[in-house]
Amino acid sequence: MEADTVEIVEQKSPSSLSILLRELIRDKLALISLIFLILIAGFVFGLSLFLDQAEIVTVDLFAINAPPSDQFILGTDYGGRDVFGQLIIGTRNSLAIGILVTLISGIFGIAYGVVSGYFGGHVDNALMRIIDFFMVLPFLLIIIVFVSMTSNYSIVSFSLIMAAFSWMGIARLIRSKALQEKELDYAQASKTLGTSNFNIIFKQVLPNITSLIIVTMTLNLASNIGLESGLSFLGFGFPEDTPSLGTLLSYARNPQTLEFRWWIWAPAAILILLLMLSVRNVGEALRRAADARQRRG
Amino acid sequence: MWKFIIRRLLITFPQLVFLSVLVFIMAQMMPGDALTGLIDPTITAEALDLQRERLGLNNPWYIQYADWVSGLVQGDLGQSFRFKMDVTALISERVMNTILLSAVSLIFTYIIAIPLGIVSGRYNDSPLDSVITGYSYLGFATPIFIFALVMLWIFGFQLGWFPTSGSVAPGLESGTMEYYISKLYHALLPGLSIALISVVSTIQYLRSEIVDTKQKDFIVTARAKGASENRVYNKHIFRNSILPIAAFFGWEITSLISGTVFVESVFSYPGMGLLFLESIMQRDFSVVTSLVLLFGAASILGALLSDIILSIVDPRIRIK
Amino acid sequence: MSFLEVKDLQVYFPIKGGIFNRTVDYIKAVDGVSFELEQGKTYGLVGESGSGKSTTGRAIIGLEEVTSGQIFFEGKDITDKKAKNKNFRKDVQMIFQDPYSSLNPRKRVLDIVAEPLRNFEKLSKQEEKKRVQELLDIVNVSTDSIYKYPHEFSGGQRQRIGVARAIALKPKLIIADEPVSALDVSVQAQVLNFLQEIQKELNLTYLFISHDLGVVKHMCDNISIMYKGRYVEQGSTKDIFENPQHIYTKRLIAAIPDIDPKNRDKQFKFRQEVAKEYRESYDTYFDGDGLAFGLQSISNTHKVALPEKG
Repeated sequence: MEADTVEIVEQKSPSSLSILLRELIRDKLALISLIFLILIAGFVFGLSLFLDQAEIVTVDLFAINAPPSDQFILGTDYGGRDVFGQLIIGTRNSLAIGILVTLISGIFGIAYGVVSGYFGGHVDNALMRIIDFFMVLPFLLIIIVFVSMTSNYSIVSFSLIMAAFSWMGIARLIRSKALQEKELDYAQASKTLGTSNFNIIFKQVLPNITSLIIVTMTLNLASNIGLESGLSFLGFGFPEDTPSLGTLLSYARNPQTLEFRWWIWAPAAILILLLMLSVRNVGEALRRAADARQRRG
Repeated sequence: MWKFIIRRLLITFPQLVFLSVLVFIMAQMMPGDALTGLIDPTITAEALDLQRERLGLNNPWYIQYADWVSGLVQGDLGQSFRFKMDVTALISERVMNTILLSAVSLIFTYIIAIPLGIVSGRYNDSPLDSVITGYSYLGFATPIFIFALVMLWIFGFQLGWFPTSGSVAPGLESGTMEYYISKLYHALLPGLSIALISVVSTIQYLRSEIVDTKQKDFIVTARAKGASENRVYNKHIFRNSILPIAAFFGWEITSLISGTVFVESVFSYPGMGLLFLESIMQRDFSVVTSLVLLFGAASILGALLSDIILSIVDPRIRIK
Repeated sequence: MSFLEVKDLQVYFPIKGGIFNRTVDYIKAVDGVSFELEQGKTYGLVGESGSGKSTTGRAIIGLEEVTSGQIFFEGKDITDKKAKNKNFRKDVQMIFQDPYSSLNPRKRVLDIVAEPLRNFEKLSKQEEKKRVQELLDIVNVSTDSIYKYPHEFSGGQRQRIGVARAIALKPKLIIADEPVSALDVSVQAQVLNFLQEIQKELNLTYLFISHDLGVVKHMCDNISIMYKGRYVEQGSTKDIFENPQHIYTKRLIAAIPDIDPKNRDKQFKFRQEVAKEYRESYDTYFDGDGLAFGLQSISNTHKVALPEKG
């Protein structure tokens, strides 16, 4: 009996996620982007298991700035380190931190926004004023200051600093949606049924805004990858022994490297561009899908 | 409208206070204090303590904060220990470069974005529009520092059309015509790099605004009256869509700041962004905090200016 | 002790304005409403949209903040939000106007109907499913459909699912806020009859909010007519329909269509009289602001808003 009821559920009411995925597959460009992302992610995470990070980042003075060859597919940098290996590990690190920052800032921003929108009134007023203050801060500079001041510096602390200044956008978006959603009768009905505010927020209201959340988080992922590589480029991201895509690009701040040794920075530049573009493609396609679904619903 | 402006001004003040508190806390967290920059190995620890006491560095934090703020108001930002000079003097040396760079990039942004936005909106869904939309889609996904690097590589190094670093050719005397031309010449490529990326939001705004307005009833009415297509666009659509753009630059200041930090770093252009990066690398913290404060104040005041201009141009915003 | 008693209820909504966004004025949505309700009866609140009838219902159940006045339920003062404890939540339920928005589109019927059960009763999955099926059976919705989503049902079916949810905790009072006005006329009667059936079965009390006098006549024992936040007339159904006193009530009654052609002349004459009276003696019924006066008793059951005499 259990089995056939489950079947009814599945054929009759696809979840918002599966609707979004179906729309995504119809969109050629987005599908290609998604496949590209999955391949890249699988490739770098898989391959980095076999690569020895310590060995790759060890300085080898006999192989400084070597152009691409059989031994080093993409040559070496000023420390004689294999660029290809750094590219693989760097992509992995950039992706990982992008995802981590997106999740941390997303979860905090969603909670903040949904609380603000759901309770409204004075709570909302106070919370929104705080966001207004955060929005006008020159956040890039402040992140740099915090990064340079943190003594115990790790992936987690780096992500937390970045997330601390990138949760406002999603919080605002979720807040305005929650503000609309709580006025709908189903949320009001839950109140009269004795459901607690916590359950109304997380079990009734949130499921109705999942597609917005998925779309926003995807687009945020793209900008966080960009932000991380930008910080690493300026020298305020990972230390050199933990390469990211931005680290490879930062070598191009040396005019000699930029002018004569394209193999060090160009692959990383292209890879960042492709990654950000693909993530955006997927995000935009999801957004279109979500909109269409709302029109139909 | 006055109500809106007054209310907006009332929000600005606490924003500035919040910024100053944040910067003050940052300054307190940083190692060293105002005296670290002056340390002379011959001074004994007792003398140093005496000096601290005299400068009020042992006072409770709120008195220190009050002293610091009153210094700020008088334009005293402290001492740079690297350059052994007043931070105010140091920054005013660099500030003109950054203002020049920002002005160049804003001018380029408007010169490029307005025609492209208008074409894209007026002939929407034409091949030309697809090209422009495609460009802005790419531009959105491109981090500015990568774009600036590529610009520098192509036009600076490969083609050699533009200088690759600095803000002026060495050996030119300040005040001469050549000096100013050289300054402008040095700002062109970095300014263009910022502009080509920052145009995308303006293009998209203009396009969607024009496409929206096109379908409004008053445009249909104008057409029905027999107004020529050009007249409809020039008199009715563009005027409505372009005015708000004039107000956007204030909001752009925040992104312009990040832009200049990256671009000044790529082009080794001695502006405030590069000064910030150098100072933080060399742990010259009084300069760092001053710059954060200045950049922050610039974005707050920029947003204020934009809001006010927009409330004058666009009555809709006043209602909220 | 009456079952539900509302004393001089006021619900004001602030109008914000000025530089500091202070409250500059109020909208008096409900302005001094009092009534009593006996168990097992149906009490009708009638008025045009914006008359404050829904706000009254929502204030009783706690969806709106009460500005002043008191609400007693079974003798207990439940005016304050904090006083609306678990028992009250259980005993008083609401049926919403719009069956399309009052059911969460992301939830299955099982989850929707079980929501109150999960809040108040600890049931195992099996028991819960059984209870939900029983409830669906009561409201004549196929018990196989517990895994369906709201959009798979028609408006009438959805409204009955809403009713199943409202009666899940065996409440004593149900506030029905225009329960049929979003439905097709053909379905309206069906849902109304059904509401009357379960009223007898479960000994329910209804506070029935509607703009439709015809529906109210069919359903209610006592009726109040609201206009701009105040009562204009209050009485038994018989009082209101056979002996309307206030011009507003008369106009509402005159507007009810009568399909019997034999009554056409009588109806026409009645309408003419009402229109004439409205033109000539508007001032006797409304004060300078166009609001109704305080209520005056004209019989044991019947009260009308008229200026105080003498």
